[in-house]
Amino acid sequence: MVNTDPADPAEGSGRRLLQRRFTARLLPQLRLLVEECAAREGLGEPRRGEFVLAVDEIAGNAVEHAGGSGRLVLRRIGDELECRISDTGPGFSEAVIPELLPGLDGAPKGRGLWLARLVADRFSVASGPAGTGMPGAEVTLAVRLR
Amino acid sequence: MSYGNDEVRWDVVTAFVRLGLARGEKVLVLPCPEVPEEEVLARIDFPSRSTLRARRRGQLVVSCMREVIHPDAEFTAARQMGRLHAETDRATAEGYAGLRAFIDMGWVRALGAGVEAMMHRETGAEALFAGRPYTEICAYDRRRFDPAVLTAMERAHPRALLERLGSLRWEREPDGALRFIGEADGAQQDAFTRALQLALAHTAPARRLTVDLTGLHFLSVGCAVGLLVLARGAVGHDVVEVRCDGGQRRMLRRLGGDELPRLAWEEVVRPW
Repeated sequence: MVNTDPADPAEGSGRRLLQRRFTARLLPQLRLLVEECAAREGLGEPRRGEFVLAVDEIAGNAVEHAGGSGRLVLRRIGDELECRISDTGPGFSEAVIPELLPGLDGAPKGRGLWLARLVADRFSVASGPAGTGMPGAEVTLAVRLR
Repeated sequence: MSYGNDEVRWDVVTAFVRLGLARGEKVLVLPCPEVPEEEVLARIDFPSRSTLRARRRGQLVVSCMREVIHPDAEFTAARQMGRLHAETDRATAEGYAGLRAFIDMGWVRALGAGVEAMMHRETGAEALFAGRPYTEICAYDRRRFDPAVLTAMERAHPRALLERLGSLRWEREPDGALRFIGEADGAQQDAFTRALQLALAHTAPARRLTVDLTGLHFLSVGCAVGLLVLARGAVGHDVVEVRCDGGQRRMLRRLGGDELPRLAWEEVVRPW
């Protein structure tokens, strides 16, 4: 089942809504929990669906390319809903995300992250969990609630 | 929906209840009468925050059909629908966005009601929903109902739900359309693609295929791109029509769907 991490007060500001480790098998449940939190915070459709989609694409990317698991932290920061997804894989930089939508005849990679960045009001990729010096990647995406 | 396993039955009720609470609706749960209320609450509370506050303020009510029709003892379709109609009015008067009810059909045996009376109610409940903020799931334990009853009830309901999160099902409609139901996520991408390939092969003589996505709760980028790639390559088809909601339409447009002349769109407004 989904594990709950111990609290980590050094991880940032805002009100923490959800903190979960996940694997591929747990992604459907993770989507439900994120959707529930987003609805509770007042994020309406169609933005709520786009936010859940973006979170799923990033979490799925962590599962596929970073050892099969990852960690999600969802926070309310001011008027934003912020999601951080970290993993302990080889890491990647935002430069691997295509600037323009890849054509349908090209390689089938990169479209999920491309769309996640497109729908986010704030998006960044960092190397590993902030301040820990661990390998991996930490993707942050945020949407405005108003 | 129907279930045949005591573990998986909770997936849908938990999702239904929690999303309803998050959306500001009043939620009424009528579980199988043989399941202790403590277990119901423990299942609904897991794996996220407790619903204790929602229960205390009356937003979440766990009850039973006997209580719904009280003070009458005998079930009639009109009596039950009248009470649910009044509950919906009361929920909106209390400031909630609407009422959603999860009803385990185990009440039929518990109240000694006839299956015919239950089927009459299930096939004539449109007045509960028409233009009103009411949503309902009826859950059937497949171990307790005759398969013919289950088939009739699945046909009578506007939507059939899958019993597990992350499931994908597809079916061919009478008009030949390929209809997807459930969640087309990354884990289901191969199955989603195979279903499309088969449907394209079967509809080659007609040179036309309709793909209905409106039964999906989730459509991943991978599956959406898979649909576009297959439509692009379907040179033997004149038209691939995609029936979808506004959110799906926007995603498919962003992924390049408007550049494929073979694709036609039918945008459907979801009833909820």
